[in-house]
Amino acid sequence: MDEIAIGIDLGTSYSCVSIIENGAPLVIPNALGERTHASVVSFLEDGKVLVGNGAKRNIITNAESTVYSAKRLIGRYYFSDEVRKAQAVMPYKIVEGENNSVRIQIRESLYSLPEISALVLKEMKAIVEKHVGHSVSKAVVTVPAYFNDNQRQATKDAGRIAGLEVLRILNEPTAAALSYGFGKDLSQRIAVYDLGGGTFDMSILEIGNDVFEVLSTAGDTYLGGDDFDDRIMTWLGDRFLSETGIDLRLNKYCLQMLKEAAEKAKIDVGRDGVANIHVEAICQDPSGNRLDLIATLQESEFNRMMMDLVQRTFKVCDEALQSARMAASDLDAVILVGGPTRLPIVRTSVKHYFQKDPMTGIDPDEVVAMGAALQARSLLESKGEHFLLDVTPLTLRVGTVGGYTDSMIEKNTPIPIERSKTYTTNRDAQEKVKIQVYQGESNKSAECELLGEFEFSGFRVAERGDVRIEVTFEIDPNGIVNVTAADLETGQQTTCAIRLNSGLSEKMIQAAQAKNAATVLSDGAAA
Amino acid sequence: MSYADSSAVDGPFEIEAVALAQIMDELDYFQILKLAPVATPAEIKLAYYRESRIYHPDRFYRLADGELRDSISRIYKRINEAYVCLRDDIRRTKYLADIGGPMRQSKLRFVEASEQEMKKEKELEVGVTPQGRKFYLAGLQDFAGQRFAAAERNFKMALTYEPGNANYKTKRDEATKLIK
Repeated sequence: MDEIAIGIDLGTSYSCVSIIENGAPLVIPNALGERTHASVVSFLEDGKVLVGNGAKRNIITNAESTVYSAKRLIGRYYFSDEVRKAQAVMPYKIVEGENNSVRIQIRESLYSLPEISALVLKEMKAIVEKHVGHSVSKAVVTVPAYFNDNQRQATKDAGRIAGLEVLRILNEPTAAALSYGFGKDLSQRIAVYDLGGGTFDMSILEIGNDVFEVLSTAGDTYLGGDDFDDRIMTWLGDRFLSETGIDLRLNKYCLQMLKEAAEKAKIDVGRDGVANIHVEAICQDPSGNRLDLIATLQESEFNRMMMDLVQRTFKVCDEALQSARMAASDLDAVILVGGPTRLPIVRTSVKHYFQKDPMTGIDPDEVVAMGAALQARSLLESKGEHFLLDVTPLTLRVGTVGGYTDSMIEKNTPIPIERSKTYTTNRDAQEKVKIQVYQGESNKSAECELLGEFEFSGFRVAERGDVRIEVTFEIDPNGIVNVTAADLETGQQTTCAIRLNSGLSEKMIQAAQAKNAATVLSDGAAA
Repeated sequence: MSYADSSAVDGPFEIEAVALAQIMDELDYFQILKLAPVATPAEIKLAYYRESRIYHPDRFYRLADGELRDSISRIYKRINEAYVCLRDDIRRTKYLADIGGPMRQSKLRFVEASEQEMKKEKELEVGVTPQGRKFYLAGLQDFAGQRFAAAERNFKMALTYEPGNANYKTKRDEATKLIK
């Protein structure tokens, strides 16, 4: 049996899996022939877990035990805005775990976010195993380019929990560019416009035959297709409220029906130019009459609602072009990635912004998984067929006095890279040096994401008041930050990969692995 | 094809990589990228791609020899560091001055100190007092608008706040010369 490695696009809304067959990436469909799978995990009464498009149908009927959009929460702190927002709209229970972490409560059990994503990965793995007829254990998993260290680390943990050796955490736009340019001997500068379910990324690359150099990347982890749905929900909800006096958004069940209707309307408008919305018996009025939700959404109205969201993506594009020191006219091609890029308003606006027709013939839902499969094969065989020269999306910083930070490694620096800083224990008998590591573009620590806090102790007690400690910050090829420290005089070295407080300990990961392995995936028949 | 057949690592390559990792700290960025100090931006990019094809860690992902893999990883991180510095005109100019000076040995890596010096120099140029900066910037505007007498007045005012600022003096003298 041939050793293979799989490429997984673990999306906010949908996931996709690919392997290399006969030298080319191939998307593997599930038993029902579906090529993309809703990133939805539904915990069934019989203890089995249903993942994918079948589970998505359970969001309404089995709302409290069905988790979706977990990617919006992975690697976030419990006190973050994103978690607050999710608590208001998600029908499943989001609770606080130890050290500011987030847990999902399903009946009596608590799940960390990596455990939820691991169930999606388990399904992807199972789809491939069924196709090839043997077990697989190695994978490349993609993440938005703009993901920070916490989010990347949590995604890597998810892979391990699912029993996968994660060969690489790969940036989605880079994967798409690889899929586009692989084996074509191109000499081009391209933009990848990646509008997903929950995040927007823009990367600019220079392709020189087998070398794929990311010149810059920029993004918004709070902007995606979900926000388009939200707009339609508001529009529908307001109309219904003014017609009937009932606010559908106050009831989580009605809210889910509304969300489903909004998503469908978005797709219909994109395809047909108009959406006829009709949800029967969405709620009851005070006297017990069942009310239907009926509305017609025209494309012009839809476009008006979405225009500012689309404009927000171009602010990000401006930033990426500026970082790459380029103008839109310098680009040879524009590649669209992500389901929402199928919308005419997005395509037209992109064309207008770049003064260029975006590439056709690339499937925006599958191109990332295919690129991941190419990279997985490349790492497995280590033959140097292509080289990805990627960058870190966010500036790495260390805390200084008074709530400020110093830049250590600037955003858009090629990775892997390292940088050292020498700390001095300048007070007599100071035993500890506390170091806080952040990512972000502000010099104020409160406006950056905290990656971790370390106290280096156990060094010599400085009688003369002068111990010099060299701390080395490394960003590895996954975009994950590692920190090591050494006493410059004794050469004593302590190594610790940054493990953020709310991250999972080795012990927790092992327990989660056992739990994941024991979980039986439902084939949907029982649902 | 199994890894053993791969051409990524042969004897001479291994010897070269180990040797390079050892002497790396003695080399400047141009030597790391095998470039002349007069290299053009296009040549720098070409060299970066060439060295990436040789030392990119992905080629050695499956290498059993952990020590050799670490050496290669260290080399590649230094290649990236060199590229980041040399592709930027401002950094490159500063770096060339650094390694051409008497402190060459301690300036081979463009680090914190160099960046802080750059920031400081920039500050010195524009000024360290609010009033000095204000008159200096007004002077620059006058200068650009060819109002040289006004520019001279502003530079002189700036100098009353920062009498030691060499840049202010240079600018004042330039303005004085241009007054008809």
